[in-house]
Amino acid sequence: MTDLWAEIEPLLASVERPARYIDHEWGASHVVDASYRMGLVYPDVYELGMANQALGILYERLTSLPGVAAERAFLPWKDMAALMREHDVPLFTLESCLPLRECDAIGITLPYELTYSSILEVLSLSGVTLRAAQRGEDEPLVIGGGPCAFNPEPIALFFDAILIGDGEDAIGEIVAVHQDAIARGLSRRETLSALSSIEGLYVPSCFDVIDGVAVPHDGVAPRVCKRIVRDLSATRPPVAPVVPFMDVIHDRVTVEVLRGCSRGCRFCQAGMVYRPVRERRADDIVRDVMAGLACTGHEEVSLTSLSTADHSQLEDILRRLTRRLEGTGVTVSLPSLRVDSFSVQLARLLGGGRKGGLTFAPEAGTQRMRDVINKNVTEEQLMTTVTEAFSAGWRRVKLYFMIGLPTETDEDVRGIGVLVSEVLRVAREVVPPAHRGGIKIGVSVATFVPKAHTPFQWDSQIGLAELKRRQSVLRESMPRKGVDLSWHDSDVSFLEGALARGGRELADVIEAAWRRGSHYDAWTEEFRLSRWLEAFSECGIDPVVLASGRDMDGRLPWDHIDSGVSTSFLRDERERAGRGVTTADCTFETCSVCGVCQSLGTDPMLAGERRG
Amino acid sequence: MGDLPYRLRVLYTKRDRLRFLSHLEVTRAIERSARRAALPYAVTEGFHAKMRVAFGPALPVGTAGLAECYELWLREYVPANEALARLQSATPSELEPLDARYVGVRSRSVTAVYTLAEYAVDIEGGAPESDCRAAVKAMIDDRIFTVEQKAKSKSFDLASVLLKEPVVRSTGERCAIELMIRMGDQGSLRPESFVKAVLERSGGSGRIVSVTRTSLREEESEARPS
Repeated sequence: MTDLWAEIEPLLASVERPARYIDHEWGASHVVDASYRMGLVYPDVYELGMANQALGILYERLTSLPGVAAERAFLPWKDMAALMREHDVPLFTLESCLPLRECDAIGITLPYELTYSSILEVLSLSGVTLRAAQRGEDEPLVIGGGPCAFNPEPIALFFDAILIGDGEDAIGEIVAVHQDAIARGLSRRETLSALSSIEGLYVPSCFDVIDGVAVPHDGVAPRVCKRIVRDLSATRPPVAPVVPFMDVIHDRVTVEVLRGCSRGCRFCQAGMVYRPVRERRADDIVRDVMAGLACTGHEEVSLTSLSTADHSQLEDILRRLTRRLEGTGVTVSLPSLRVDSFSVQLARLLGGGRKGGLTFAPEAGTQRMRDVINKNVTEEQLMTTVTEAFSAGWRRVKLYFMIGLPTETDEDVRGIGVLVSEVLRVAREVVPPAHRGGIKIGVSVATFVPKAHTPFQWDSQIGLAELKRRQSVLRESMPRKGVDLSWHDSDVSFLEGALARGGRELADVIEAAWRRGSHYDAWTEEFRLSRWLEAFSECGIDPVVLASGRDMDGRLPWDHIDSGVSTSFLRDERERAGRGVTTADCTFETCSVCGVCQSLGTDPMLAGERRG
Repeated sequence: MGDLPYRLRVLYTKRDRLRFLSHLEVTRAIERSARRAALPYAVTEGFHAKMRVAFGPALPVGTAGLAECYELWLREYVPANEALARLQSATPSELEPLDARYVGVRSRSVTAVYTLAEYAVDIEGGAPESDCRAAVKAMIDDRIFTVEQKAKSKSFDLASVLLKEPVVRSTGERCAIELMIRMGDQGSLRPESFVKAVLERSGGSGRIVSVTRTSLREEESEARPS
């Protein structure tokens, strides 16, 4: 087995933050005599990738298998990548300093459309052939998974297989089938064929795309149904996760408290594709938090999920944790809050004397618009919530909004400014005069990007010029004093939209953009839309067409991927959006017949009774 | 809370791969090892309670240390050898704690007590040992040593900064220069800056392979320069 440390070490004296490359963290797993090695890659730098919970879960699952080693690898920062190219050092794994291409398989997470070109940079630095169809018999299998797997087509040609849905159980099956294929001396083609029988695993080479429609080869099921862990309470988060030396983002113990969200926001892909809701039990969560803190020595724990405040036992969990952690300096955090007074009570319970900022997401400025997107929040609820927050001593509140939503008018855009003015007014009413200068409302405005498997998957994304116009309408409506207004980069949103709903034809564009130097697109200061526009034009593809509306009866590039939510539900939801009619969350009210439980043969699993 | 009765001084190493950690990364790693060791550590007062711990002089990224130091305040007494064993079992081996002992709560702070540091700088492929020695001698005769750092120049009076004449030692293919440096409030002489200048003067094409702080010392125990 090749060990590249002697070649890497001399490079470390001249790069930024060498801690990215040195391994030996507490909890890192070193299996010396493994017969099977899987590289686990996050296609960005160490300090972003180490925050990824899914990779932590898969790392633990792999290392628990006998004779199997998990080897982490990340995209090196550009200073290191340049040195590695100069000295002919290929991308290496942290645990064994093994060339990544010497692993039996490489698992790459697909967190976000803007990492697509970084994935090619990873493959290129590894010396792995970019296109799956041209890979040699001795090259590792390249397997993807993660949020972007639900429209896998833009990157399908770079992957041997892509897992749709929950990975923790599937990974063991993938390893077993691959080990068996190696033992039997199967060819790459035969191996992939064997892998295609694993539930949830999509093998792009088993489908041909004809006129934009994915057609399966003989004997291959026409649709790949997502993989799901039916009972989340039967799972545990990693007991001894790797503890980074470096100051990574989300540097803390993370304990997943529930998976899925059925609030039904019509723009939200995660809310559609990770259904149904599966809660874990309070006793298990408290046990895992205490074990995670004891094993890692972390000073913070986060209770994660798409909507943690919805957990039916959250208050009980937080009371038990704050009692047990008293006097240790260890803090508990929640990733998001609902717009209601219950959330403010929870925040008080956690904050103790500390008052950072509170974050809420009304998403839209008018009731009409919030009804269209099914964000079941009223202006009155928002005002009650912020009144309580400011009365309880908070001085900073952050509000998330989106513009460019379907049916949006200038009045809806101006409505955001009106709503923020109203928040400022109630804040000034309840904050004592001497402290009013400290009131700060952070307003963060994202651009709506239509995503696959949502009720808005057929909608068009507004163009760059129109987006800039609406941004100026918003800016004029926004109070100046006491408000910090920030935008998502409109160029980034435009590209995200073009990549999110494309098909296999985008492989050429992604490769062309990478060849032009797009390596770190997820970093705003490294991102250049011009490189991508040149790549689109070179390939004869118009990104504006990709961002435009689709025929609701036509075929979509992701039609062969089954999230469990039925297309008729999505159509129905789109129709209700047009009428401004909302749909209730089935974990609080009646079933909305989204189809997921029927098609996957499962049910939502709650640990107690939810209260809204 | 006032002064707490149990103040544990720990000597530790920073070596091999982990010499590439920054000071901040080392401090965070050690705080986490103290939590993993489940020692009854004290926390600071105030809204944001933090572990009460203090670190000796920082080591730069890439520099190893054979006897670095931190102090941890405990709420309850734990025998020093037991505390050491618990820390050892909860710390990566390259940051291994070597010794732990209680010090008086009123002793001088660990950030101020050590003002002298000994270093060994290993060189590969340099000029002959005798040329290095001659270069060291010439630099000491110049007395003032000026370093260009980030477009600024900083001058050191070697008669005050170097506590004794640096030792040049040959170790087979490599050569090592040993220095004892007095650390200053306004930035200390970095041993690699001095050794680079030695290499330039001696006309060799040598390369620094490693820099190690071999010990930290208190000024009182050493002879002050005349």
